[in-house]
Amino acid sequence: MIKDINFYLAGYALKSLLRDKSKNIFIFIVFSLLVALLASTFFLSASMRAEYHQLIKNYPDIVLTNQRAMQDIPYNTDVVNRVLNLSGVSSTVGRVYGKYAFSQAETVFTLLGIDAFENYANPLLNKLNKKYSLDDNAMLVSSSVATILKQNYYKEYFNFIKEDGSRQKVQIADTFYTPKSSADANLIVMPNELVRKIFGFKKSEFTDIAIMVQNREEIGFIAGKLQEEFPNAKITLKEDLLREYENIYNFRSGFFLTVFVIAFFTFFIIIYDKLSGPNSAQKREIGILKAIGWRVEDILKAKLYEGILISLSAYIFGIILALIYVYIFKAPYLKAIFLNNYTLLSDYRLVFHIDIQTVVLLFFVSVPLYIAATIIPSWRVATLDADEVMR
Amino acid sequence: MITLKNVVKQYGNSLALDSVSLKLEEGELVVLKGVSGSGKSTILSLIAGLLKPTSGEVVVDGKKISKLPDHFAALYRRDNIGFIFQKYNLIADLSVKENVLLPLVPMNLPREELESLLEKTLSSLNIKAKEKSLVKNLSGGEQQRVAIARALVNNPKIIIADEPTANLDEKLSLEFIEMLRAMKSKNRTIIVATHDPLFFNLDFVDRVIEVQKAKILSCL
Repeated sequence: MIKDINFYLAGYALKSLLRDKSKNIFIFIVFSLLVALLASTFFLSASMRAEYHQLIKNYPDIVLTNQRAMQDIPYNTDVVNRVLNLSGVSSTVGRVYGKYAFSQAETVFTLLGIDAFENYANPLLNKLNKKYSLDDNAMLVSSSVATILKQNYYKEYFNFIKEDGSRQKVQIADTFYTPKSSADANLIVMPNELVRKIFGFKKSEFTDIAIMVQNREEIGFIAGKLQEEFPNAKITLKEDLLREYENIYNFRSGFFLTVFVIAFFTFFIIIYDKLSGPNSAQKREIGILKAIGWRVEDILKAKLYEGILISLSAYIFGIILALIYVYIFKAPYLKAIFLNNYTLLSDYRLVFHIDIQTVVLLFFVSVPLYIAATIIPSWRVATLDADEVMR
Repeated sequence: MITLKNVVKQYGNSLALDSVSLKLEEGELVVLKGVSGSGKSTILSLIAGLLKPTSGEVVVDGKKISKLPDHFAALYRRDNIGFIFQKYNLIADLSVKENVLLPLVPMNLPREELESLLEKTLSSLNIKAKEKSLVKNLSGGEQQRVAIARALVNNPKIIIADEPTANLDEKLSLEFIEMLRAMKSKNRTIIVATHDPLFFNLDFVDRVIEVQKAKILSCL
């Protein structure tokens, strides 16, 4: 294949591009930026989808939440046991957690209670449970939370303001690192009883009940049984959560559809400009080349090289820019649009995940189109009589 | 070697050549003389295969050039024709070397062969020193030499020159005539279309053909 490449012709094509330097550099920059913009959103969305799927994997199959007048209220321990007795249910865990607003830092923490004897669906909790034996008044904080606390001069402890307005001083036992999970980034783990104290729950009350089932095929059936047994309960399936994430994401996709339309519109302006054909000097040059013995195919080959040199290099450059922007610089601005419901953005790490299909799709809607837009007008001129073109 | 048989060429309603017949022998140097618009350039373009006659035939070395499809006409030009245009038709932003090598680019020859052809051609025309200069920075005479070098680099059998001295002063025109003499001595068939009187009484010109109003008027 390399043997088939006429490097003199490629060199001529390169010279030809350099002769119209400013215009071609402009096209290269716009082309690269468009590819980079689209590829960045693709990379970011693919990475987030991969992240969501990873996150959902750690969720319980079913979550049962008690409600009154459609407002969440706690469950008692006896309900946990009743659920466990339902056939098909393999395990249940009463969870104690809630959101705590730390207004000083304008952020929200998730306070999650753990019980040393429980087995959780989330591997992080099991890992922490195994590693630490928390005192009654101690907590583990994620690395992001630790940073925020330190910025606000809480290095060893933190004063939570309880429901009744009094303070609960809690020691920071240790920090755990949450490298990629957005949901775990604002996590504080502490004993169940401590969470209850802070949020004003009674002893033996749970925020909700996490349920694991034996056979995944029976999730729907068991959910039906739970609804019969607990008519006031809100039942959330793992699939529902996934759908919810997808819906949030799809909303953002709608927003980005606008960006895509603008990007493609810009690209088509370039294509339109190319299709308007060579200028008089370029036409004359084609005529000269024909007159000195170049065949139509030689001229088209030179134009093909020109198109490849610009579009392929701009495409590759755009993809590299997107990779750097998303995975090295963590997609500033763009990530904020995608993740505006998360408060600890700075520690949100993007999983390296490239959706090859979209990269290939981006290639096929840009590179061949540009090459065609370069070749077709030149082909129209090259098939005319050289004498006519030169006149 | 070159035969035009009853060639008619029309551009729309305008008649450029009216039933022209002409025969040129190998190694002959022929000057086509006539005023602008008489049809000289059209004869050259037909012989070069750049144009197809409206009717009639152009035959070169037994090949009907007028019937050649575009692809083969280009190959015919590449192998047989060296064209020197009135306005040189060089690519101003390319260097001397790049302009001269242009006819050879599609052939993808080995580098050594290319360099050797270039060296030979540029040296014979005394422009080797300007090899890397951009054509747009050269004088008219130097540009003329580059145009000649480009016409000769593929070692063509036929050299066609269309008003080659139209943009040159007398000194440079005489220089061109000397170069023409050198080309003729290598047994190349040369056709020059001009209305420059300098060409009409040259001892090495075989024939002067007068073209007027789309017809061949006389052959001296």
